[in-house]
Amino acid sequence: MINNLVFVILFLLGFYAILVKKNLIKMVIGLNIMEGAIFYWFISITDRGGMIPIINGTQVTSQMNDPVPQALILTGIVIGASTSAFLLTLIIELNKFTNSTNPDQIGGMIED
Amino acid sequence: MSKAKNIFKIIILSLLGITLLVHFNKLPLQFEYANSIYHHITNNAVKETGSLNFVTAILYDYRAYDSLGESTIIFGAVSGIVLLLSRKTLPVSSHGLSFIVKRTFGMLTPFIFLFGIYIISHGHLSPGGGFQGGVILGSISIIFSIVYGSEFDYKRYSPTTKTLLETSGALLFIGLGLLGIVMGGNFLVNLKILNSGVGSLISAGSIPFINIGIGFKIGAGLAIIFYSMIQKTFKEEVNL
Repeated sequence: MINNLVFVILFLLGFYAILVKKNLIKMVIGLNIMEGAIFYWFISITDRGGMIPIINGTQVTSQMNDPVPQALILTGIVIGASTSAFLLTLIIELNKFTNSTNPDQIGGMIED
Repeated sequence: MSKAKNIFKIIILSLLGITLLVHFNKLPLQFEYANSIYHHITNNAVKETGSLNFVTAILYDYRAYDSLGESTIIFGAVSGIVLLLSRKTLPVSSHGLSFIVKRTFGMLTPFIFLFGIYIISHGHLSPGGGFQGGVILGSISIIFSIVYGSEFDYKRYSPTTKTLLETSGALLFIGLGLLGIVMGGNFLVNLKILNSGVGSLISAGSIPFINIGIGFKIGAGLAIIFYSMIQKTFKEEVNL
């Protein structure tokens, strides 16, 4: 169960960054680490110890990893990249108006 | 006050970790594959789609509608970024690096472009595909901006060209889907035209053409995102 242990450690590392860090960019990095932990776990749990799902010629080998989770994770990686780019853009705009990336300071500015 | 808060957060995190570990360890190590879609795909994918790469066969044939939604999400992200960081003014990120770096990348850039085109066009035969090759194509614009300066990037690969490439890639994808309806099938059905045998470059029906559309869309979209981001961040540094 080494993959479960690695998944939990990576997931908690990302969650720690979101909870504790006082910088919005570090929080986005934590979100990306959590995403990477989930992708790693999903790929590792469907690994049968076979070969990659690309055949050479026309013969079909019986020992082959499942291609469906890999296609799902490819979708997830692309969506994660675009959402993190959009989040970073929002942080750039927020920094332009408030001159800060600390969520506590920004919250105080909005209340005033 | 803040120290007590941090200790509270760490206790919550460790409790969450123990709970996750206990419950994930109760999951079965190997899932049963008795009646799963795995058998259908490994036995019939070559006959049904003509693609040797099964991940590409799933992405652009069995679940092509899902890939259309995925590229719509990227289109939405690019639109939002361009809306927030308007691209009217010329970016001033860098004025170019030294002569040696410029010469080296002048020799390397055509090969990077060739590698990206290779990854895109061989997506149904070898590892790769539209998304992976599109990222390599998008790196060319980043090289232009950093190594040769932003003015060079603006002149050689202008924002209008990037927008044109991105929309034409998306329109190629949707047009192939509508062509499926015209030819008498479902939306985004795999058209069995231009087949010259399994394993050759022009095979697998419409999968290579969807790959080309997705590749140009992703490459131009990443270039637009990078172009919009450097503009605002570095402009303020110059004003300071």
